Amino acid sequence: MRIIMLLALLLLAPQMTQAAEGYIDVTAPVSRKLKLFPAPATGLAGQVPPEVSKELSELFGMDLGLAGPFEVSGDGAGADLILKSSYSAQGGNITLECRLVDRVLNREITAKRYSGSSKELRRMGHAFSDEVLRAVTGGKGPFTGKIAYVTKVSGNKEIFVMDYDGHNPQRLTNNGSINLKPDFAPSGKEIIYTSYKKGNPDLYRRELFTGLEARISSRSGLNAMGAYSPDGSKIAMVMSKDGNSEIYLISRDGKELARLTNNHAIDVSPAWSPDGSRIVFVSDRLGKPQVFIMNADGGNVHRLTTNGAYNVTPRWSPKGDRIVYARQGGGGFQIYAINPDGTQDTQLTSAGSNEHPRFSPDGRFIVFSSTRDGAEAIYLMRADGSGQTRVSPNKSQNSHPTWSVNW
Amino acid sequence: MRKMILGSLVVLTFGALLSAGCAKKNVVKTEEPISAAQSAPAPAPAPATPQQARPEAPAAQQPITETTPSREQPVAQETAKDAGKGAAQEVQLELQKVYFNFDSSDLSEEARGSLSKNAEYLNRQAGTKVRIEGNCDERGSDDYNMALGERRAKSAKDYLVNLGIASDRLSTISYGEEKPADPSHDESAWAKNRRDEFVIVK
Repeated sequence: MRIIMLLALLLLAPQMTQAAEGYIDVTAPVSRKLKLFPAPATGLAGQVPPEVSKELSELFGMDLGLAGPFEVSGDGAGADLILKSSYSAQGGNITLECRLVDRVLNREITAKRYSGSSKELRRMGHAFSDEVLRAVTGGKGPFTGKIAYVTKVSGNKEIFVMDYDGHNPQRLTNNGSINLKPDFAPSGKEIIYTSYKKGNPDLYRRELFTGLEARISSRSGLNAMGAYSPDGSKIAMVMSKDGNSEIYLISRDGKELARLTNNHAIDVSPAWSPDGSRIVFVSDRLGKPQVFIMNADGGNVHRLTTNGAYNVTPRWSPKGDRIVYARQGGGGFQIYAINPDGTQDTQLTSAGSNEHPRFSPDGRFIVFSSTRDGAEAIYLMRADGSGQTRVSPNKSQNSHPTWSVNW
Repeated sequence: MRKMILGSLVVLTFGALLSAGCAKKNVVKTEEPISAAQSAPAPAPAPATPQQARPEAPAAQQPITETTPSREQPVAQETAKDAGKGAAQEVQLELQKVYFNFDSSDLSEEARGSLSKNAEYLNRQAGTKVRIEGNCDERGSDDYNMALGERRAKSAKDYLVNLGIASDRLSTISYGEEKPADPSHDESAWAKNRRDEFVIVK
């Protein structure tokens, strides 16, 4: 019997994986969410400190509640899925075993054991949340990715990284100048950003773990808004060395590869399609800033947004099916998403002013800045606009979030 | 998504039928593979490599994978000494600021008047070089404002060059909306922030 059941699951599992292709379409209506109960952690040996149990329950509750397919419930009654965790600590090291159990079939769907420093408890928890999504939907979760962002520090702006949920903020820059627009390499191991630390707005590339850094573009004028190509080999960016702001391609080492725009208008905010074949950007060539799409060689330019007088900061979804951007109106910005062919232009936010939208690397979420609670802060939502949640690490003015692949 | 949920419900239903059809003894719920898992070699800690799930021996019925998360290294922080020295700054009261309308780099009559006075000053101070700093209010997109500030600075530069100031005495920089003169969030602050400033750089 066991063999038959396993066979049945083996036959069905690949279909689920293929259907998902590592990407869950959370914009489609869900007929019924799966009820998931994160059970309190038990001790592998001895008692579990109550704060550990509480931290894990809250972590799984937040990760999987945000994820989309699940309704997190406070008890096991009526749950479809139970997330069981067992914990032990020895010295400064901990072991965490996590299992996702199908309560109806009484069958284990996936199980993982993590061991490491006690400081890595949250990371282990997020790693299992990623795994739960992989096991259930075929596409791994984004919860062990990091969010880089810009914080206003006594009038200057510095770049930080934090866990996706706002925990563990770590400072990256410390130069007392203006540091802007971080963008993660596809590897997640380096960022590019613009800094005024040597006077001019120059583009820097920095390895996150070593701190090694190179100034890769310091042409006269702007060297800003760098965006890694999906394969990480090139950077699209804005320079003004030739008279006004234009979009260029440079290599990772800063060598100019191509100039993509050439006109008297403002051309800014380049972002790549996931296959690297096209670039979406902002131009005021028709009067006011609007979103345009061009081929990655600068050809075939056409306007994308036709509603609204001021549309900016587009970003393509990892799946390629949506482009998210911000529209000015009513004294602030709201976030919209649109298909690359210009159809289905949909407003996603309404409270406060909301800007700087970008997709999570798995496409499930959009992270953005919002003033809805006062100072600009970091929020995330599902790609369809549901589940809007504040993840800002503190009360400081935080903006320009960008979400890395899993670390 | 709907398809997938339906798919997983089909799995659930199919499995439920199977298990219902063949009595309790077959529903073996195991949580014991700890011993099996313990025999698995622990992966060596691999700093800075993305963690990889390690499949257990294929024969294990309840595979539990042992995963050691990669050491999460603290990211290297920039030390304060890395901060570059900006060009020496000395704001000259004699050089007047120039103000702009929203989303515009056009020079108003008032702006042109201010620039004419700045040109007179520069004519008296032969050899003095000036950095023109373009700024924006906070309402626009900060990306777009970076370019708009540049355009405002260039618009003043072009006007000064037309008035006879050598272009190599004039440099431009944009701070976009990053350096407001007045940090308040109202019409009067925004009007003060949409400006060019003129800074002597020797």
